[in-house]
Amino acid sequence: MAVKAEAIGDDRRAVPSLLLSHRARRRQRIAAGLGSGALFAVTSLSLFAVLFIFYFIARDALPFFKLEGVREFFASTRWYPSAEKPEFGALAMFVGSGLVTLGAIVVAVPLGISAAVCLSDVIPFSLRQWVKPVIEVLAAIPSVAYGFFALVVFAPLLQQRGGHLLAATVWIVGLPVAALGIVVLSDIATDRLDDKRRSAARWAIMAFLGAGALAGLVIAGKALGALHIASGTNALNVSIILGIMALPTVVSVSEDALQAVGRELREGSYALGATRAETIVKTVLPAASSGILAAIILGIMRAIGETMVVWMASGNAAQIPHPIVNFLEPVRTLTATIAGDMGEADQVTGSARYHVLFAMALCLLAFSFLCNFVSEWIIRRARKKVGG
Amino acid sequence: MRLETRRLLDRSFAGTGVLAIVLMTAALVILLAPMFVRGFGAIVFTATVEQRRLMLEKFDRGNRVRVEAEIASARAAREPVYAMIAEFERGLENMGPDERRMYAKPLRELKKEIQTLLGPAPGTVQPMLMRDQYGQTRWDRARVKLSRVLYREEWDYSDPTRAGVKKLKPRAEDFAGTSLEALFPYFEHDLDKMLLPRRTFYWRFLTDESFDSHFFGGIWPEILGTFYLTIGAMLFAIPMGLIAAIYLTEYARDTRLVGILRTCISTLAGVPSIVFGLFGLAFFINTLNVSSSKSVLAGSMTLALMILPTVIRASEEAIRAVPSAYKEAALSLGSGRWHTVWTIILPAALPGVLTGVVISMGRAAGETAPIIFTAAVSVGKPLALWQAFSQPTPALSWNIYNLATEHEAVDEIRHVQFGLVLTLVGLVLLLNLTAIFLRARISKRLRG
Repeated sequence: MAVKAEAIGDDRRAVPSLLLSHRARRRQRIAAGLGSGALFAVTSLSLFAVLFIFYFIARDALPFFKLEGVREFFASTRWYPSAEKPEFGALAMFVGSGLVTLGAIVVAVPLGISAAVCLSDVIPFSLRQWVKPVIEVLAAIPSVAYGFFALVVFAPLLQQRGGHLLAATVWIVGLPVAALGIVVLSDIATDRLDDKRRSAARWAIMAFLGAGALAGLVIAGKALGALHIASGTNALNVSIILGIMALPTVVSVSEDALQAVGRELREGSYALGATRAETIVKTVLPAASSGILAAIILGIMRAIGETMVVWMASGNAAQIPHPIVNFLEPVRTLTATIAGDMGEADQVTGSARYHVLFAMALCLLAFSFLCNFVSEWIIRRARKKVGG
Repeated sequence: MRLETRRLLDRSFAGTGVLAIVLMTAALVILLAPMFVRGFGAIVFTATVEQRRLMLEKFDRGNRVRVEAEIASARAAREPVYAMIAEFERGLENMGPDERRMYAKPLRELKKEIQTLLGPAPGTVQPMLMRDQYGQTRWDRARVKLSRVLYREEWDYSDPTRAGVKKLKPRAEDFAGTSLEALFPYFEHDLDKMLLPRRTFYWRFLTDESFDSHFFGGIWPEILGTFYLTIGAMLFAIPMGLIAAIYLTEYARDTRLVGILRTCISTLAGVPSIVFGLFGLAFFINTLNVSSSKSVLAGSMTLALMILPTVIRASEEAIRAVPSAYKEAALSLGSGRWHTVWTIILPAALPGVLTGVVISMGRAAGETAPIIFTAAVSVGKPLALWQAFSQPTPALSWNIYNLATEHEAVDEIRHVQFGLVLTLVGLVLLLNLTAIFLRARISKRLRG
């Protein structure tokens, strides 16, 4: 249908007898060509924008590598840009960015994929209409408002009651997971026994495992409850907030991917006697895996490029936490360093201090470009697979 | 596995999904609740007589006769305070040097705290800064300051392994046995007579300029700045985005060049916002010199670049959603391609395009990182339209950051910060609700 419309719409193939003269026809053709050329010119502005961004960031970034060398930047953690003999080791910032992004993904991915599965396969359509605006509003809230919440509301809470909050989280997450795991494990373990002994063996295994899990939870909860958090502005705070910010992206992109998996696959699985959970886990999720991967990559991009939240609530300490996964220590990210140091570096345009920020921006830009490229490639490959 | 276990797993699987959605909704509520509750506190609050004095003296607002009567009554209630201090000071002169030295510091501190609570004592020199010329204008802040009049903070460092522990010591103990001891119960019981708290609806918070770096007044310069930046960004982004969308949907064939263009658009969408800020600084300001330093114009251009991909995608989607029968009918009637786009497709796609535009407007209004280096300043007067081409401006998003982290008295102006956040979030939510409403109308029309 669309192809046919295109053929009719194409002026060049229109029947000549409808036109008044050859000259009028030529004029019309030139006008159409010019118009379409102008449209193309405006459209290609985005191409130039991307090229210009790369060029101008790189132009101001390269002098830094000439001035200070590559090695110090990537391998040293000594960040003293305003010292008499300045040092520009950005390793701590790279680690900080990576750490908060990792934390955000840990929060956003399980929640996001569960929510997406629920939206696409579990809850009825009428209810979905009510959930969608929630996701939209979460995506729409400005990052500075998230940052303000993290700094003014969440950080004091974490500092005063952080241990209890963590302990409560462990209980809330751990208890159902443990209960479920125990039931399944005991079931699998007693699968081969005959009916008489099975019930008793099951109960015995369940009691044994349950006691162990409870003891583990109590010990973990106690340990966390006694935890003293020195400062509420730390990597944990930022990770949670960034996770919530990345959630809408993860949910909507993976929901699209799940929807794109056809009815036939689901119905086939149901016909073989699978439950809904088994259908989703064993059939739908693998079929949608590339889209979900793309969703995760987009979530990573959202988290690593975020500035305001990390600037306000990460503590901005240019150090690698000790040990490296200690989320309770303050960190500093690339974006926050750019935002925070430009104010002072602005006056000394041309110094290493000014160029180092562009070098960081170049790294961010390259990373986001790479992510974007990979996610597009994944989606394109998946489409080809489905099509072929 | 047994059937029951499988069923249990199935149920809990569905439960996990529902739980995730409930958690997401809870996160939204937890996020928005303090912003709304405390944000309204900037507009509806219990104001003291100092607020009314400020309004009368700076804006000539309020009933002059009544406010002056109130000021007189508050002054009468405060008189015993100053009388007690004066009496104590007179008594001090008759004391020995040791006692005089002992009381000097507590008295100095006490007088300072009383001044922050009630404003300068009558008969003293008018201070330079406006924040010192008035007492506490808000009753909630006045209660906080009252406790600082009544109690002295002391830090206990006796346990070297832990951070210092804060302890409150009543100031009354410092002056035990003197004539000043009666001052503290008087403050505790009669503060409302000295400050006359009354509920106020200060809607002009939104339209007043700020005074003395946001200690008093409203947030009009920020609102205006955000308005300029957003409108400016849309002025650049809408035409470019719409034209690009028309080209991509109606003209472009599936060539390699168009594929590269699409990749560029999605790359642009993925560039971190802070990088846009740096680019705006390096390109618009340092290279193109659209203005000699930060300006609304440079900021708008940077923001426009950032929201361009969103506008293009939304417009593209809206144009694609127009039923192809419309187009075919127009073409079959002999209309040219451009004519079809202009008279048939665009009007039909308009609500959808508008939805995308409104959403990207919210994004432009809320974004901070791109304007840090290109447009935003912390304090400024509201700009006239022609100044927008050369002058930087305060903006809601930037000032939330600035007031919450870099202001000299962050705790004193919490209400202003929450007011700014509420205004910004309210604005963005309003825009998004408009979009949701528009979309609901479109889907109804398409169905009906």
